[in-house]
Amino acid sequence: MAKVTLGDILINARQESIRMRHYYLGVEHLFISLLEIQGGLTASLLESYGFTPRYIVDAIRRVAGKGNRQRLWAGMPNTPRADIVLGIANDLALDDGRSEITERDILTAILDEGAGIPVRVLRRLAIEPEGLIDRARSSSSQPITGMTPSYLRIEFGSGFDVSTEIPEDHLFVMRRMFQTSARIRIERRLLGGHSSAALYVVTPYGVEGGMQSPLVVKIDHADSILEEAARYEAHVRSTLPPLTARLEDKPTTVETSDLAGLRYTFVVDADGKSRDLREAAGSLSNLGEWIQKSIYPYFGKTWWNQRYPYRFPVWTEYDWLLPPLLVLDYLPEHDAPPDAVVVRDPVKIHQVRDLDYGAPVVIEDFTVIRVYRDLNSIQLTIGKGTEASRRAHKILVRGINLSEFAFFRGEIVERMVGRVYETRAALLMQALSALIPDFDGADDTIPGSEHLVRLPNPLRRYESLLEEFCNGSLSKIHGDMHLGNILVGANNTPFLIDFAQTRDGHTLFDWAMLELSLLNETVMPAMSGEWDSVRFLIGYLALINQGQEIPGTAPEIRRALMPIQAVRAVAERCLARPSAWGEYYIALAMAAMRAYGWETISLGARRLMFYVAALAFHELREKKPDDGAETRTTGGASGSFDAP
Amino acid sequence: MDDMTIDVAIMSGVEDGTLLEMALSANGSANDQGWTLSIGRREENDVCLRNDTYVSRYHALIHFRDGKWYLEDCNSKNGTFLEDQFEDARVSGTVPLESGQLFRVGRTWLRLQS
Repeated sequence: MAKVTLGDILINARQESIRMRHYYLGVEHLFISLLEIQGGLTASLLESYGFTPRYIVDAIRRVAGKGNRQRLWAGMPNTPRADIVLGIANDLALDDGRSEITERDILTAILDEGAGIPVRVLRRLAIEPEGLIDRARSSSSQPITGMTPSYLRIEFGSGFDVSTEIPEDHLFVMRRMFQTSARIRIERRLLGGHSSAALYVVTPYGVEGGMQSPLVVKIDHADSILEEAARYEAHVRSTLPPLTARLEDKPTTVETSDLAGLRYTFVVDADGKSRDLREAAGSLSNLGEWIQKSIYPYFGKTWWNQRYPYRFPVWTEYDWLLPPLLVLDYLPEHDAPPDAVVVRDPVKIHQVRDLDYGAPVVIEDFTVIRVYRDLNSIQLTIGKGTEASRRAHKILVRGINLSEFAFFRGEIVERMVGRVYETRAALLMQALSALIPDFDGADDTIPGSEHLVRLPNPLRRYESLLEEFCNGSLSKIHGDMHLGNILVGANNTPFLIDFAQTRDGHTLFDWAMLELSLLNETVMPAMSGEWDSVRFLIGYLALINQGQEIPGTAPEIRRALMPIQAVRAVAERCLARPSAWGEYYIALAMAAMRAYGWETISLGARRLMFYVAALAFHELREKKPDDGAETRTTGGASGSFDAP
Repeated sequence: MDDMTIDVAIMSGVEDGTLLEMALSANGSANDQGWTLSIGRREENDVCLRNDTYVSRYHALIHFRDGKWYLEDCNSKNGTFLEDQFEDARVSGTVPLESGQLFRVGRTWLRLQS
């Protein structure tokens, strides 16, 4: 480990203070400076607890908050607490007969003082400072994480598809994760959803050679993984049926990349195999019945059936599914032209909808939800209200020098200026163009099926739907219920995995998501991806919407759509009011609006998604006003009421 | 009542680590109902947070009644918050306050210490 002097630590601490507009030297800046030492003692110790230094830095920044816009004093005074800490560190060095204060002295002093922001943050993360002091004292100057257990043998199961190479940094996370095992066998890779996460089924072997239970390993960006672990604690742990996939142990982080890993227990079927519903779908004799009689009752007790009446403006649950409202190029604040459009909560969508490229925009009181360090970009949202509405009205700001300005997740940005690079309308239109439509995407309607000659164009409808109210219900939901996240274990027992999106939300969202996933994975592969065959299928979905039987003249389609009907049977039981299907079509329309832009699914499936949205909008138009969706009669929270 | 004392500790910001000693005989206002201390940016507050522009001039009150402490937000612009595991909980009206519990006034964290 390179020798880092007190001088270097103080310089970095002051830089952190300036980035945060604090202009004083506090314990939090000292601690962040310690965390930023590459391979340093502080960073290594916290990694051994399963936290990346960056995660801790952001947690500390969130508690400290950014400082005032104007400086209220000259120079950079030490806080009284920082003086105490530096005094303790000095004593520690003197006791040891040293003239120089080291990283270890400052770390020990911060922990020993015990009341500063860093210690409070560590306690919240269940890291006891007393234990950390002991480990700081006893650890050698060698960084703990330096010992990469490269001796861990990694084998591949017979079912592993060798054509898909596992990235080296994923293997690194697994080596760290299983460092106490003798070897591991990677059985297979589970197909992920639309996110960047990778899922593997891994069997560890003990040092004595004994095979242990297989686990599902999830690898993703450290931020997402650590958040998923927190979400699991908050929402999932106490509500799971006794026999299901559970989170094992703390997340594993590594210093070589921004990735981290989680382990879920997994119970395999009698043959020692494990399947997700994508593969199992074909072999389950009756997929529809399985959904209705296994998944729904198994998890329903503590999740979807614990629901309460919930009336919400559609945007609060569903705006986050759409592309960013705006993509902006960052401008220094003093360059804000006087004619700039100001965007703040409540967001008036019509104000930003038709902004031209290069138009100046000021955003006020938005919350940072994601920092893309490699792209010099940040993503902001309104950050208020329910878990879904907090992610509403995304705005992406590009071209920020992130080494000069600190941004942290959860930070409220009072004011930021940018120029329009893209609007949501343009992004949605681009995604449609990528589907090579055989119709005009700017028209009010699009060609329909045999009986529905024209269908509404989702691109012309979604904005007014966002402003409407939905009478639905609220419950715990999985939040990402696609076939890849449903596993089939022994005796065809259902398991849900991936709780990264689990929250309290609109109950029907899970079922709308599952319907779309079934259409993508089980129905669409048998069809051609041509627009005409998509419209042909939509004709049958329209029959399901009307509660009609699929005619016996189309036995294949009839069989393929049976699981969809099972999902509808569950959805029907979850409706807030009997046969008021409007809330389901809202969920379906918005989820399909997101899915038609997914590049991870086939062209045909994306085309189908666009049409599923169109059909859902058609159904919503047919419904009476009090049928789940309501037309607004008075100007509500967002106040952007468009005349019809 | 005997002369009781309470310390208000500043737990963040440029004055992090400062201990303000409050005594019933010297600070705040007292009557039969109990003892009240004021927090704000103006000098005349018992706890004056002049270095935090997110603190309102008269921001919050701490009450001592029937052996218990309470925190009251005085319709401050940027709010008063109690520490919570996931998200700080905004105080509206008057809420109980434990000694040692962290609360935030504007952007400054404080706590009571006996």
